[in-house]
Amino acid sequence: MNLPGQLMRARELPVFAALVIVMGLTSVAVPHFFSAKVAVDLFLGVSVIALLAIAQTFVIVMRHIDLSVGSTVGFAAFLIGDSYSKGFGLEVSMLLAIGLGVTVGAVNGFLVAYLKLPSLVVTLASLYIVRGIFNEFASGETIIESEVPPVVNWLGLNRLFGVPYLFIIGLVVLLIAGLVMKRVKAARDLYAIGSNPAAAELAGIPVARRVLFAFMSTGALTGLAGALLLGRFNSANPNSGLGLELLVVAACVVGGVTIAGGAGSVFGAFFGALLLQGITLSIGALGIPQFWQQAVNGSLIIGAIALDRYLSTRVKTTTIMGSK
Amino acid sequence: MLRSGSFTPGSEPILRVAHISKAFGGVRALVDASLDLYPGEIHALLGENGAGKSTLLKALAGVHQIDSGEITLNGEEFIQGSTRMSIEQGVAVIYQEPNLFPDLTLAENVFIGRQPTKGKFVDWEKMQSESKKLFDGLGIPLNPLAKARGLSIADQQIVEIAKALSTNAQVIVMDEPTAALSAKEVERLFEVARRLKAQNQAVVFVSHRLDEVFELCQRMTVMRDGSTVDTKMVADSSEAEVIQMMVGREVSELFPKIDVETGDSVLTVNNLGASGNFEGISFEVKAGEILGIAGLVGSGRSEIMRAIFGVDGYDHGTIQLLGKFVPKKNPAKSMAMGMALVPEDRRQQGLFMPTSIARNASITVLKRLSKGLVLSRKKEEQTAITWGEVLQLKFARIADSVDKLSGGNQQKVVLAKWLATNPTLLIVDEPTRGIDVGTKSEVHRLLSQKAKDGMAILMVSSELPEILGMSDRVIVMRQGRMVAHFERSDATPSAVIAAATGSGSQA
Repeated sequence: MNLPGQLMRARELPVFAALVIVMGLTSVAVPHFFSAKVAVDLFLGVSVIALLAIAQTFVIVMRHIDLSVGSTVGFAAFLIGDSYSKGFGLEVSMLLAIGLGVTVGAVNGFLVAYLKLPSLVVTLASLYIVRGIFNEFASGETIIESEVPPVVNWLGLNRLFGVPYLFIIGLVVLLIAGLVMKRVKAARDLYAIGSNPAAAELAGIPVARRVLFAFMSTGALTGLAGALLLGRFNSANPNSGLGLELLVVAACVVGGVTIAGGAGSVFGAFFGALLLQGITLSIGALGIPQFWQQAVNGSLIIGAIALDRYLSTRVKTTTIMGSK
Repeated sequence: MLRSGSFTPGSEPILRVAHISKAFGGVRALVDASLDLYPGEIHALLGENGAGKSTLLKALAGVHQIDSGEITLNGEEFIQGSTRMSIEQGVAVIYQEPNLFPDLTLAENVFIGRQPTKGKFVDWEKMQSESKKLFDGLGIPLNPLAKARGLSIADQQIVEIAKALSTNAQVIVMDEPTAALSAKEVERLFEVARRLKAQNQAVVFVSHRLDEVFELCQRMTVMRDGSTVDTKMVADSSEAEVIQMMVGREVSELFPKIDVETGDSVLTVNNLGASGNFEGISFEVKAGEILGIAGLVGSGRSEIMRAIFGVDGYDHGTIQLLGKFVPKKNPAKSMAMGMALVPEDRRQQGLFMPTSIARNASITVLKRLSKGLVLSRKKEEQTAITWGEVLQLKFARIADSVDKLSGGNQQKVVLAKWLATNPTLLIVDEPTRGIDVGTKSEVHRLLSQKAKDGMAILMVSSELPEILGMSDRVIVMRQGRMVAHFERSDATPSAVIAAATGSGSQA
């Protein structure tokens, strides 16, 4: 196997190329666009979505989806500030946030894996339910800077060699998740489940257990993303995370994680998030009205799916000497 | 090419199936089935549709649990639990349509769930080299890094065989592996099977094509009506003998086709052809006549029906209904001209499963039941009830969804839906597949009655007794061509089977 050949075939390549092209063209059109400041904006702005997109990949490769993350990430952010301000300490506050994510994931996963309910409907419902509980819990309060744990605050404001810490956290998670998804047996089962659910059962894969565990992992990372969200804005309120779920799914799809399951990687999802964020910045720099951004994102999604379809129909059926 | 080859059974069979039975509800799929299998043999399992071959295979695969009897593997009791347990004990079943993961590489398809590991991690290099070794060992050097998507059925089967070998399978069962293969692919599969035999594997080969059995296998077991008829050396038997064992009984009186004076020609098909599916199809059906289309699954029967009704297109030829040309690919027009098609798969193609009986039964005649744009629910239900009575449909409420009904009653709803259009030509594809004997004879009585009333009926069926009992004339299809045509009086079981399987002079 040759590395360049593998790179050319990689599903992540088109989205990475698109990112380079967008940033490159904008730099040409807007002198001094590509600066350290833009890079920092890009990295800082993308970190929460990127982390959530990594988490979302676990469920999408199984041909499932988790829409509840928008509410869970906001609630987790609020919970960290709230419990910290009540004197629980950083560790306990973080555990509470991650525990919240795991719990939501466990409920979603149980309903999908064991009661065989469609994940789209289950997580749409939990999106609303979690947001409702969150609003009740927050009762209109806002987490202000003084309630944010100082470590979280510091991570949100500082950089290592110019790279924001929040982005570095995202990168670390990416590398770990990338390794796991490629080389751990149980994670490979997720791809098998998404590629052909019936065959997965026949191959003796414990499908229900894997589905449950994947939803719980998504939840755990969503809890962690809550900390990033809190660090990024140094505040949280009952509207935190509102609508993020669709942006996350968009990042995955644009990044080549097939909604039909079985294909795609956390790297693709990560690049997808970067591309969406990059386009946001470019549109700002080019002076294009911001409302075009959503139209561009939508077009990208369709483009990604069309490309995927094209690539998968291009596969030639093998036959013996063209016989038939 | 060596013909069957010599084989002397060793002292101990690796697999012994002794007098097993299995019933589903009241239907006895297996009554008394036995099979001995020795290492180093390719053993044919033969029998008509419904003889119990599939049930036997599924018992070995761990899909079904047997009711009585005994299965031993290597002298020890074979534990039936799940597909996984069967695989672990060394029995691998390769189905006609393999079930691969299209998005995963071939290497991963071979080793899924059992990937070799280095420490905690999957060892991709080893997985690839092992798969390559397996493919090369079978003489088919597939690329282990390629995705399974787009692989031909023949290559998919090779992947399944490699997978079986990677689990150290001692018994490899191939369920009609050649049904979807071209001649060259069949030859290649035979080479693979012979390699397995040479490696002292035990192979069970299920096929309807007797010429293949005689070319490849050393011994054969024939099943009929859920029981084993006999096991013989292939070299000591003739095809005629095998057919006699497969049929072995008189056609029962379950199928009361009423003799009718046939009327004018209703459907005329002239030299119809669609590349790769069927070629040179010409026949006519008269009013009051039932024309039976026999042949193996995959011989092109359903494709022709779909072309006639306008679901699929065709390359050349003409179709006329009552002298008028039927347009290509226009089912709505075909319906308007007086055609009806009861498809082979009622769940996928015949019914809207979550919708009510009334809706399903009246969907073909909505125009008649509406006043302007408004559909009369009452008329809809009346139509359904009327036909429900004619067909003796058993249901709780006419508003119940059809997925609550038994298979037989679902089939009646499909029939009701098409009979409601009062067609001049009724095409039925496998009209009684998977329904109980009582309902079956009701369906037959109904078809017979409709023919008597002057309807022309075109019936595709894989069940020989049904074909022979119901048809005024029988056309036999093989590999997309009409290979025989019988009047009712000449249509004997052996003649039809011989034509369908291409045995004897036609081979």
